[in-house]
Amino acid sequence: MNTALKTTTLSHEQKVKLFTNLVRGNHYDKMMYRRMMQGKLIGFYHPAEGGVAPGVGACSFLNQDDNLNPHHRGHGIIHMISKGVDVRTFLAEHTGKDTGCCKGRSAWHFSYPEHKVYQQSGFIGHNFAPTVGWGWAAKRRGKGQVVMNCSGDGSYGEGRAHESLLMAQNWKLPVIFFCENNSMAIFASAEEMHPLPDISSLAQGFGMPAMVVDGQDVFAVAEAALVAIDRARRGEGPTFVECKTQRFKEHDIGTPDLRGWEERSDEEHQQMRNREPVTLATEKVLADDVLTQLQIEDIHEAALREIEEVEAFADNSEIANPTEEELMAAVFAD
Amino acid sequence: MRTLTLIDAIKEAYQEELRRDDDVFMVGQDIRGGIFPHTKGLVEEFGSDRILDTPIAESGMYGVALGAAQEGMRPIVDFMFGGFSYVTFSECSVTTGQYHFLHGSQRALPITMTAGVGTGQRLANDHAMSIHGTFAHHPGIKVAMPSTPYDAKGMFKAAIRDNNPVMIPWHMGIMMLKGEVPEEDYVVPLGVADIKREGTDVTVLANSLQLQNALKVADKLHGEGISCEVIDPRSFVPFDLETVLRSLEKTNRLVVVDEDWESGSFANTVSAKVMEQGFDLLDAPVTRVTLPDMPVPGGYMEDYIAPNVNKIEAAIRSVLARIAA
Ligand SMILES: Cc1ncc(C[n+]2csc(CCOP(=O)(O)OP(=O)(O)O)c2C)c(N)n1
Ligand SMILES: [Mg+2]
Repeated sequence: MNTALKTTTLSHEQKVKLFTNLVRGNHYDKMMYRRMMQGKLIGFYHPAEGGVAPGVGACSFLNQDDNLNPHHRGHGIIHMISKGVDVRTFLAEHTGKDTGCCKGRSAWHFSYPEHKVYQQSGFIGHNFAPTVGWGWAAKRRGKGQVVMNCSGDGSYGEGRAHESLLMAQNWKLPVIFFCENNSMAIFASAEEMHPLPDISSLAQGFGMPAMVVDGQDVFAVAEAALVAIDRARRGEGPTFVECKTQRFKEHDIGTPDLRGWEERSDEEHQQMRNREPVTLATEKVLADDVLTQLQIEDIHEAALREIEEVEAFADNSEIANPTEEELMAAVFAD
Repeated sequence: MRTLTLIDAIKEAYQEELRRDDDVFMVGQDIRGGIFPHTKGLVEEFGSDRILDTPIAESGMYGVALGAAQEGMRPIVDFMFGGFSYVTFSECSVTTGQYHFLHGSQRALPITMTAGVGTGQRLANDHAMSIHGTFAHHPGIKVAMPSTPYDAKGMFKAAIRDNNPVMIPWHMGIMMLKGEVPEEDYVVPLGVADIKREGTDVTVLANSLQLQNALKVADKLHGEGISCEVIDPRSFVPFDLETVLRSLEKTNRLVVVDEDWESGSFANTVSAKVMEQGFDLLDAPVTRVTLPDMPVPGGYMEDYIAPNVNKIEAAIRSVLARIAA
């Protein structure tokens, strides 16, 4: 961690919230994976297993009027539930239902303007341009709102990422460039596609403070995120937070699990699974007396019940079935 | 009535809208200094916060508008030259056009985009290309272009007040064209074509510089007893086909002048729509005057390939000859 930046200590409540959201996020991801395998999800799914801690750490302490760009991995669910978005209508969308947040027009896109989660673009790196606009609007309003801009290591190859860093730093915008570096972009190793081991090295060239954290440790992630959020709220400008994380599964369901053009090795899988984020967090909350075994079981129970309801909402909704005329009338706003 | 140049009429639209609505602001490159005169001096009244210069980073620059529009503001983006919009085309066309529809019509994007376009400066392809056809091809974005100073003020005001993204370039070839412009507030609605000159023998659909050229040809042919009805589509999306079909009931002949490449052009769209919906009105095939499918050359060669009065006149004579034969 950059020593120039302050550190923070998490309260008991904050730790419980992080652990709870981590458990919820992990169950949500598994539900999505299961549904895709059951043929109960439209389109594709990019599993987040192994990489669920960064989104929880980044988003658990955002306010409703902070902007969020959720990472595409996990289709944003982990980030959104951590921010407090009710994602029932997103699962409904993902299953083509008329109760979907996009009226069944989008499959895996989402938009929750009331939570300042505006968009999902299928173009990697297309979070960076509007991030400048959100940051600029937040700064102009002067109410201490921040922009949490989450995306992967691969997205930093895009020129627009560099433009966004440049402009955010020029204007001291309240933006957190939150990089979830799982060392992979589909099959491509970050090692091969970036010249330096840390993506956050980019920040140096713009004079932007940066932190590198253990992305498997939800508490470490949250501490870093809180420092960056606090800087942004106080008008001190953008911060780059890089989480070193993992992707346990293939890029998206059905794509082979390659690094470069070869199968990822058993050894690589074994190594990363040794640092499974929910297991690590469980060990920590028990060791630090934050939660008891019984409380932990209750948290899992509650998460599973919540997800059952979310699934029931989607499954009990009707398939969206508008006419072409109705769709045509929806292309433009009044 | 007072006269203004087209470019000053655009500036007056900005000034009035910036005064009227605090959510309106402009973003671009070198707009404070007035790289083109439509933004010159605005910074003095509205400040660097609302007349915003960015680095040469078109995605980031457009991103200011995109993000701010999602936040409820009403940005005007100046791309300087039309071709520069392609540098951030995925944002300003694809993701912008799909935004409202794909996200369940929750939020509209009230973004106005503009840029100087067109031939006449001999600047070559990347600084001379038209962009209206390309933007019109992508659903979810309104596209319009003014042909007179009067329309310029009213249409830019309509664009800024529209809740949808609007691409409204202006043609560099008529930048200094003078015309009457009322001092008061008025709007020229998007999606409404305008009969710029009434006639009975042939309908000529043309816009911006080419509309001005078509009017010159109409004047000339009038001396020979040929009566041209000259229609300005004003908007490409939405397109007012009705006005064209009504005109064809009278003239039965159509020339479409479109300063864009032939392939995939607005001219082709009009031609197809007229064939499908107005076939019985036609006494001759729809004839198009467009740019040939080659990169727009710079230098004097531009003059050979761009639509001009001679080419428009020849096209009009050809549709008239066909019916006479
Ligand atoms: C503009 C664009 N290029 C390529 C793709 C295909 N694509 C989808 S996800 C992805 C990898 C992204 O990697 P990263 O940003 O590291 O996120 P991760 O998937 O590893 O979580 C690619 C290349 C795309 N969707 N958009
Ligand atoms: Mg990655």
